[in-house]
Amino acid sequence: MSNLQTAPRQSLWTRVTNPKFIMVYATIGLFLLIYLFGAIPYGDVGFTTLRTFTTLFVDNAYYGISAIGMTMVLITGGIDLSVGAVASLTGMLIAYGTTVMGIHPLICMGFALIVGVGLGLLMGWVIHYLNVPPFITTLTGMFLARGVCSLISRESIEINHPLIDDLASWKIYFMQLKDGEWVKIKPSAYINLNVIIFFVMLLIGIYLLQRTRFGRNIYAIGGSEQSAKLMGLPVGRTKVLVYGFNGLCSVLAGITYALYVKSGWNLSLQGAELDVITCAVIGGTLLTGGVGYMIGTLFGVMLKGLIPALITFNGNLLSWWGKIATGLLLLLFICIQRIVVKTTDRRKGKKRAPVKS
Amino acid sequence: MKKKLDFSAIARSKVTWAVVAEALILLVCLFVRPEFFSISYQPSTGMLYGNLIDIINRSSEITIIAMGMTLVIALGGTDLSVGALVAVSGAIALKFLRWDVTIYNTPGDYTVYSFALVIIVPLVVCILMGMFNGFLISKGEMQPIIATLILMVCGRGIAQIITNGKQFTTQYSPFRVIGQGSILYLPTPIIITAVVVAAVALFVRKTAFGTFVESVGINRKASRLSGINAQRIIFIVFTLTGFLSGISGLIYSSRIMSNDSNNAGLNFEMDAILAVVIGGTSMTGGKFSLVGTVLGSIIIRTIVNLVYYFGIAAEATMAFKAVIIAVVIVLQSEPVRNYFAKRSSARREAVKGGAKA
Amino acid sequence: MPENNLLEMRQIEIQFPGVKALDKVDFTLRAGEIHSLLGENGAGKSTLIKCLTGVNRMDAGTITFMGNSIRPQSPQEAMGMGISTVYQEVNLCPNLTVAENIFVGRQPMKHGQIDWKTITKRARELMARFHQDIDVSRPLSYYSTAVQQMVAIARAVDVQAKVLILDEPTSSLDDNEVQLLFDVMRDLKAEGMGIIFITHFLDQVFAISDRLTILRNGHLVGSYDIGDITKVELVTQMVGKDMDTIFNLKRASVPEDAPDMLNASHIGSPGQIEDISVTVKKGELIGFAGLLGSGRTETAEMLFGAHRATSGEIEVDGQKAEIKKPYDALVKGIAFCPEDRKRDGIIADLSIRENIALAVQARKGFLHPLSSKEQNEMADKYIKALGIATPDAEKKIGELSGGNQQKVILARWMATDPKVLILDEPTRGIDIGAKAEIQRLMLEMCGEGVSVVFISSELDEIIRCSNRIIIMRDREKVAELNGDEATQEKILSIIAEGAKAAGGEAS
Repeated sequence: MSNLQTAPRQSLWTRVTNPKFIMVYATIGLFLLIYLFGAIPYGDVGFTTLRTFTTLFVDNAYYGISAIGMTMVLITGGIDLSVGAVASLTGMLIAYGTTVMGIHPLICMGFALIVGVGLGLLMGWVIHYLNVPPFITTLTGMFLARGVCSLISRESIEINHPLIDDLASWKIYFMQLKDGEWVKIKPSAYINLNVIIFFVMLLIGIYLLQRTRFGRNIYAIGGSEQSAKLMGLPVGRTKVLVYGFNGLCSVLAGITYALYVKSGWNLSLQGAELDVITCAVIGGTLLTGGVGYMIGTLFGVMLKGLIPALITFNGNLLSWWGKIATGLLLLLFICIQRIVVKTTDRRKGKKRAPVKS
Repeated sequence: MKKKLDFSAIARSKVTWAVVAEALILLVCLFVRPEFFSISYQPSTGMLYGNLIDIINRSSEITIIAMGMTLVIALGGTDLSVGALVAVSGAIALKFLRWDVTIYNTPGDYTVYSFALVIIVPLVVCILMGMFNGFLISKGEMQPIIATLILMVCGRGIAQIITNGKQFTTQYSPFRVIGQGSILYLPTPIIITAVVVAAVALFVRKTAFGTFVESVGINRKASRLSGINAQRIIFIVFTLTGFLSGISGLIYSSRIMSNDSNNAGLNFEMDAILAVVIGGTSMTGGKFSLVGTVLGSIIIRTIVNLVYYFGIAAEATMAFKAVIIAVVIVLQSEPVRNYFAKRSSARREAVKGGAKA
Repeated sequence: MPENNLLEMRQIEIQFPGVKALDKVDFTLRAGEIHSLLGENGAGKSTLIKCLTGVNRMDAGTITFMGNSIRPQSPQEAMGMGISTVYQEVNLCPNLTVAENIFVGRQPMKHGQIDWKTITKRARELMARFHQDIDVSRPLSYYSTAVQQMVAIARAVDVQAKVLILDEPTSSLDDNEVQLLFDVMRDLKAEGMGIIFITHFLDQVFAISDRLTILRNGHLVGSYDIGDITKVELVTQMVGKDMDTIFNLKRASVPEDAPDMLNASHIGSPGQIEDISVTVKKGELIGFAGLLGSGRTETAEMLFGAHRATSGEIEVDGQKAEIKKPYDALVKGIAFCPEDRKRDGIIADLSIRENIALAVQARKGFLHPLSSKEQNEMADKYIKALGIATPDAEKKIGELSGGNQQKVILARWMATDPKVLILDEPTRGIDIGAKAEIQRLMLEMCGEGVSVVFISSELDEIIRCSNRIIIMRDREKVAELNGDEATQEKILSIIAEGAKAAGGEAS
C-alpha cells in the first residue's frame, strides 16, 4: 500500500484549490464585487479608469505598509496597537527635526527607525519574557509613543525641505504609445515612491513568510506556541523579531505618511491601528493566529480603500457612512468566514489511519 | 477553618501589587505636595472638593464600564465597542434634549422630549447594541475582539448619523445633575458609580453568576457539558456591558453638556481593559476581581490628576500613564511575582529552620 | 552487557515543594530495545522523563548518554543530543501541513530559500516508511489523532534520534492503529534505536517491550526482562497490593421486572450516527464496546444532548424527554462524564468545591445559588465518600492527579442524584487503584437503583461490570450480549468482523 508512485502528487490545480486559500479568494471576490458595484453607476464618471485604481494605492500606501507588519504579528496570535502612534511619532520626529532643529531629514528618519524598531523589540521582549498580554503591552507602547509625540509638539508642523519635496513629488506616470510617441494616458495615472515602498515591503513580507524558517516559525507559533516550544523552535527570538519588524513597518508607514501630508502632528493617524487590523482581517488573517497571507492583506487594503473612493464618487454621502460601510464589510466578511469554517469542518470528517493490508 | 496569613500567596496576588502601586504613587505625592490631599467644603454647591474626590469622580465613567469589562475579560474576551457606545449614548441624549435646533435656536434650560426619554432611550439603544455583540459572540460563536470591532468601527458613524453630524449643546439643569450635581455632599457620578459597583458585585457574587462566568471563561465546553447555558451567560455579560457603557455615556455628555461623536469615550475601551488588567484579572479569562478593577481605574485616574496637578502639559499625560502602567505591569508579570513569592517563602523557610535550631 | 548501554541514569533525585518526586532512581536503556516505564500516576514516570528531556532540573544524580555525561537544560538541547520525545497530546501545529510539521525549524534550504520540493518529497518518503500513504501537503488538523501521532514520531525519528521516548502514545488509538505503531516501533528498534515506552495498557507492555522498569512513589521498584515477570506480579509491584483484592467486584443484580429507566429509540443525526436504539433498566449497567470511532461516544453524547439528535425519541423514566442541550438532560436526571476529562470535564482553575457543586447549581439556575454551607457540605461529603486525596475542598482541581480529577467529576454528577449515569471512558489514563475504585463506585450506584451506561476500550472491565453489553461498529449497533455469556473472544470476533469488512472497503 505504501507505493510511492501512487502517492498523491500536487498538480497546480490542487495547489490552487487548496481549501486554505478560500478566505483569500473570498477577499478577492468581494473586492471585485464591490468594484463592479461602483463601476456600474460611476463607470461613466471615471470610476473604472486606471487613475482611480492607482489612486487606491497612492492614498493607502501607508496603511498597506503597516498592514504587512501587522499581518505577521497577527499570525503569531498577537496584536499590536502601537502602530498608529509610532507612525505619528515618526512624522513628528521628521517634522520637528527638519523644520525646527534644521537637521537633515535622512538623519531624522534614521533616528525614527531606531526608536520605532527599538520600541518594537522592547515590546516583543516584554510580551514573551515577562508574559504580559500583547494587547496590554502594545497599548502601553501606544500611550508612550503618543505621549512623547505630544511632548515634542502640540501643533502641526509643516515639513519644508527640498529632499522631502522631491521625494513626495516624484512620480512614475503610466504612458501609452500614441502616434509613435509615448504620452501620459488620460486621465493621467501614476504611482509614487510610497506605492513602490509598499510593494517592496509586500515582496519582502511574502519572502519572509513563505521562504524563510523565520516565517514558518511565525506560523508554527500561531498554530500552537506550546508545540512550537516543544518542537525546539526559537519562539522567543521569533516573537521579539516579529514585533521589531512591525516597528520597522510602522516607521516606514510614518515616513510615507509624512511624504503624503508633508507635515507632522501629534494627533495624526489616531485609531489607525484599528484600520490596519481591519485591513488584515478583511484579508483573511485570523486574530486567533496561525492563518494569514500577504496577498489577502493586499486585497484587504485595496478593499478598505475602495469604500472612501466610492463615497467620493457618490458625492452626496457624508464621510461617516464610510465608517458604517467598513463595519458592515467586516461583519459580512466574518460571517463568510464562519460559514466557510463550518462547511469545511462538516465535509472533512477527519480521516483515520489506513488499515495496513 | 482558620486560614493562616500566607505571604507568598499575597505576594503572588496581583491585587496586592495594584494596592502597592496606588499607595506608592500617593506616598510620593504626600511628601512632595501634602496639600494635594486637602478636601474642602463649598456651601454654595453643597459639595466636597479636593483632589482625592476629583480622582474618584473623574474615574466614574471608566469604573462603570470596567465593571462590565471585568466580566467580559473573565469570559476570556474583550469588548472594543464600549467607547463608541459612549458616543452613541451621548448623541441620543442630546438629540432628545434639543431634537431640532431650528425650533429652539439657543441652548437653554429646557428639553424637547421628556427627561425620562432622554435617559431611557440611550440606555435602551446601548442595551440593544450590547445584545448585538452578545448575539454575534454567543450564537454566532465569533471571537469577541472581532465581533466588537464591528461596532467600534461603525459606532461613531452611527452617532454622527443620529445627530446628522451636528454638535448640540444644552443647559437643561436636571441633565446637568447627572455629571455635575451632588448628592450627600458628593458628586453625583461617585454615587452612581457606587450604586453600579454594588449592584454588579451583588449580582455576580450573591448569585452563582460570577462562578458561571469564571467557569465558562476557563472552559466553555466543560461548562456546557455540566449543564450551564454558556451562550446565555455570554449574552448577558455583553448586554450588561452595553448598558453600563450607556450610563457612562450619559455621565460623560452631562459633564460637557454636549455630544461629541468624535471624542466622547475615545480610548475608553483601552482604559477600561487596562483598569481590569491592573486590577489583577487575567486577559486569558477565569478568576476575576471587581475590587481590583475599581482600584485599577482609580490608579489610572490618579496618574492623570497628578500630571495636571503638577502643571505638566495635559497632552503629556499619556506618556506618564504609559510609564506608570509599565511599572505596574512589570511588577505584576509572572516572572517578577514568582520571584517575590519565592523570596518570601524562602524567608519563611529560613525562619522556620531558625526556630527549629 | 554494560557496553551496550545507550543511556544510564544513576541515583536521580528531584525535590518538589513538599515532596520528593524522585528518590535515588536508576534507569538504564540499551540500544535496540523497547523499554517500558511503568507506575501509577504520581509514581514519577513523567518526572523522570522530564529530567531526561531537560524540562525539569535534577537535584542530584548523573545521566550518561553514549558514554558522555550530559545535563540537558531544555527540550531543544536534548533533541540536539539525540533524545526525542513524542507526547500523549500531539505537540504539533495543526495549521501547518504534515510535511512542514516534520521539518519546521530545520527545513532544507536552497539559495537562501526553503526548499519546498525536497520537504514534500522527503516527508512523503518518511510517512511511507510508517505505512502512511497520505497527502503530506494537507494541514495536520485534517487527519486523525493516529496519523498525527505518526507524524510526531516521524519528526522525532528524522532528527537522527538515538533515544525515542513515547509518552502514552496509544491512549487515543484503536487496535489497528496500535498495531501500526508497534510495527513502526519494531522497525526502529531493528535500526538500533532505544525506545522508552510509557503506557497504562499492560497488554501492550507485554506485547512489545523487551524490558520494563517499575516506579512507585518516586522510588525504583525494579527492572525486569519481560519473560521474568507475570502480569499479576507486575500489577502487585505497581500498586503494592494484590490484584485480586483490587478487582474483587460483583456485577449488579437486576430483577427481571425492573422498569425501563432510559429508552432511546432510533435516535440519530446525519453524519454522526443513524438509528440507534438503547434501553437501560433501573439499576442496570450497560457496557458499550467497540473501537474508537465506532459511534460509542456519539451515542452517549446524543443521549445527553451534547449533540442534538435530529431523529428518534428518548424516554426517561417512562416519560418522553425532549433533549436538545445538556441542560435538558440534566433536568431529566441524566448525567454524563465525558471522555476527555481535561478538555471537557474539569474547570481547572476552580476549586474542588466549585467543581462538585457546578452541575447542581446549573440545574437550579444562577439566580438560586447554593449557600456556601450547602456547597461545603456537598464537597466534604463526596471528598470523603469517594476518597478524593486532597488537603481541603479549596484546592484547584487542576492541581489534582488524573484519578482524583475523575472522582471529582463523578462527584459533580452524583450530587445531582441522577437516574441515568453515562460514563465515557472513566478509567482511561488513571492508575489501577483509582480504576478499581471507580468501578466499585459504578456498581454501588447500580445497587442504589441508578442506571449506568459505561463506555470503555478495555474489554475486561466491560465484561467484569456489565449486565448487558452493546457492541458498536461503523456507527451502528451490531450486537447485544448478556453479561454472563460475553467473553473477550466473542466480543473481539464481532468487532473484528466489522473491522475486516471496513478494511475490504477501504482498499
